[in-house]
Amino acid sequence: MKALGRDSVASIVRIGLNVVWGVLWFLAICLGLAAVCYGAFLILSATGAIGSDVLTGDNHLRINGENVGFGDIAGYTWPVLVPAFLIGAVAIGGSLMIVWRLRRLFDSFSSGEPFRKENANHLRAIWMTMLGIEISRYVLLGLTGVLMAATHSTFAESADFEVRIDFSTWGSILILIVLAEVFREGARLKEEQELTI
Amino acid sequence: MAIRVTLDRILLDRRMSLTDLSDKVGVTLANLSILKTGKAKAIRFSTLNALCRVLECQPGEILSYEPSADDALEEAGDQAAE
Repeated sequence: MKALGRDSVASIVRIGLNVVWGVLWFLAICLGLAAVCYGAFLILSATGAIGSDVLTGDNHLRINGENVGFGDIAGYTWPVLVPAFLIGAVAIGGSLMIVWRLRRLFDSFSSGEPFRKENANHLRAIWMTMLGIEISRYVLLGLTGVLMAATHSTFAESADFEVRIDFSTWGSILILIVLAEVFREGARLKEEQELTI
Repeated sequence: MAIRVTLDRILLDRRMSLTDLSDKVGVTLANLSILKTGKAKAIRFSTLNALCRVLECQPGEILSYEPSADDALEEAGDQAAE
């Protein structure tokens, strides 16, 4: 089976990307709804607007016979959940952008013309997005730590900070940088060849 | 680019259309149009040879050099490097 053109591996990958595109939008909608619900929940619990039939007397929710504070349901307090929503938003938003660019790339591959200037731009945008996601992940994880230390007095003493560098992501970014430049040069050579009479 | 293609002037002198030239040279009309409008990046010796043969002229009559602002900048850069 050929790699490029019609009925090729690229056209199959393109179908897969369309599925991923749909799944990502579904996840984005779920995350958006969860964030809105959590935001409303925080506001309602802070203002005391939630009815007394839901809450027990001391602002606690009764789950399976246990009183659970709104602020620490299953240990997920807002300093964890808010950055987690942000990490999720960045990851899903970035993934949507990457998959959109990949779809455009594979559209071009399926048509059998890989060396276009737009493809080099797509690859460049993909590695820049990946870089953005990776850096924001570190920043938001750091923010989680800062918020946890600020709001939980015992956390700062017991916390075990560890910075994990994902070499596969950084390797992918480096490969994409090289690929983007290869495509840029390929597009330039193709244009030159087309304009050689 | 500083290289100008003066194909339209020669065609006018020879009272020949671009379509006729395309038929005689064996280069597509689209490519000759690219050449005539100065959008071409390069020209093959074989194409130049065919053009000179059909138009009965020298390569210098088809191509001319007119220094552009880029060339002046490049020259200034070369002099600065020396």
